[in-house]
Amino acid sequence: MATTVLPPPPPPPAAVETVVDFFNLPCPIPFEELHREAMMSLKPDLFEGMRFDFTKMLNQKFTLNHSVLMGPTEIPSQSTETIKIPTAQYEFGSTFIDHPRLLLWGRILTDGRLNARVKCDLSENLTFKANAQLTNEPHMSHGMFNFDYKGKDYRSQFQLGNGALLGASYIQSVTQHLSLGGEVFWAGQHRKSGIGYAARYNTEKMVATGQVASTGMVLLSYVQKVSEKVSLASEFMCNYLSRDVTASFGYDYILRQCRLRGKVDSNGCVAAFLEERLNMGLNFILSAELDHRKKDYKFGFGLTVGE
Amino acid sequence: MASQGRRGGVSLPDRPSNSSSVLAKISRSSIVVRGKEAAGDAAFVAKKLLRSTGKAAWIAGTTFLVLVVPLIVEMDREQQLNDLELQQASLLGTPAPK
Repeated sequence: MATTVLPPPPPPPAAVETVVDFFNLPCPIPFEELHREAMMSLKPDLFEGMRFDFTKMLNQKFTLNHSVLMGPTEIPSQSTETIKIPTAQYEFGSTFIDHPRLLLWGRILTDGRLNARVKCDLSENLTFKANAQLTNEPHMSHGMFNFDYKGKDYRSQFQLGNGALLGASYIQSVTQHLSLGGEVFWAGQHRKSGIGYAARYNTEKMVATGQVASTGMVLLSYVQKVSEKVSLASEFMCNYLSRDVTASFGYDYILRQCRLRGKVDSNGCVAAFLEERLNMGLNFILSAELDHRKKDYKFGFGLTVGE
Repeated sequence: MASQGRRGGVSLPDRPSNSSSVLAKISRSSIVVRGKEAAGDAAFVAKKLLRSTGKAAWIAGTTFLVLVVPLIVEMDREQQLNDLELQQASLLGTPAPK
């Protein structure tokens, strides 16, 4: 993939059938959302146990959110066996949207974790984003500020986080379908720095992306839209330094009454996620995940009310 | 074995000891020993094969249950919904969508 990342010399316009209008290229999607389609199909938010979400719109701009999650949660341990303890938590959240200029988003959990997000358009092209995660445990809180600049056929982003984290990324449309990007980051606390490249090729029928980073990560994904309702996705992830390789394949069916996502991966993990629309504003969720290798089976059901 | 038979069966006629010695000879012959070993190996392999096949079938079955069964059910529902709509459209006389 590294070879494709390097910008190829522009072919002579006579050689290609359709002349590429280099001054009228579409704006690429943000660098961090490069694998959006593949992520959407392959990474549904699987859960275990029962969940209940209730969303209440107070007025056009203000929304309240209540959520209950009950079920076993895994606690990290050194042994290969997974240890689960039953937990129950309640989450309260609120969202304020002043479309399209301002977005304020907050979630607080009963165990004291707080998530907050701000997205604000400073001018037509410049967007400011802030993201904070606060916990009771020391050294586990995170904060991050992003400045996004959106140009005509490029996007750039500057990141500033706690722990002396600095990052910048840039993505540029090269042709009508192809966009190339790069990023650099520096984490002062961990004394790490890195550089990464990415490429994305999308047409109406398919999306192919590739990303390499100096941390050893290689990520390739391919999504084929078979029809309006069906898309198939595959992903290959490999870490050169830690030597783990994962390949996964999934489907995504968006039907009139439901959305069904399923995937299999090379770790022996099979997952399916079904969102069934029972009524207007009433969704039923079923989640299943089988890990054949670890013999870890997770099933969940839930209800989403509102929206 | 043969000497033992002779010592133990003093009152017995020679015939059983004779036959047992034949049997012993047969059972000691290399073909029978080889055959026994082969049978043992075959049984072991068959057991292992059966177990691994069972495991594979279990994995395939559960995977099918999670990935394919919901898909079939939902496709069926979608088809039914489409049929119903088509029927209604034809009953009402409006042209069917698409």
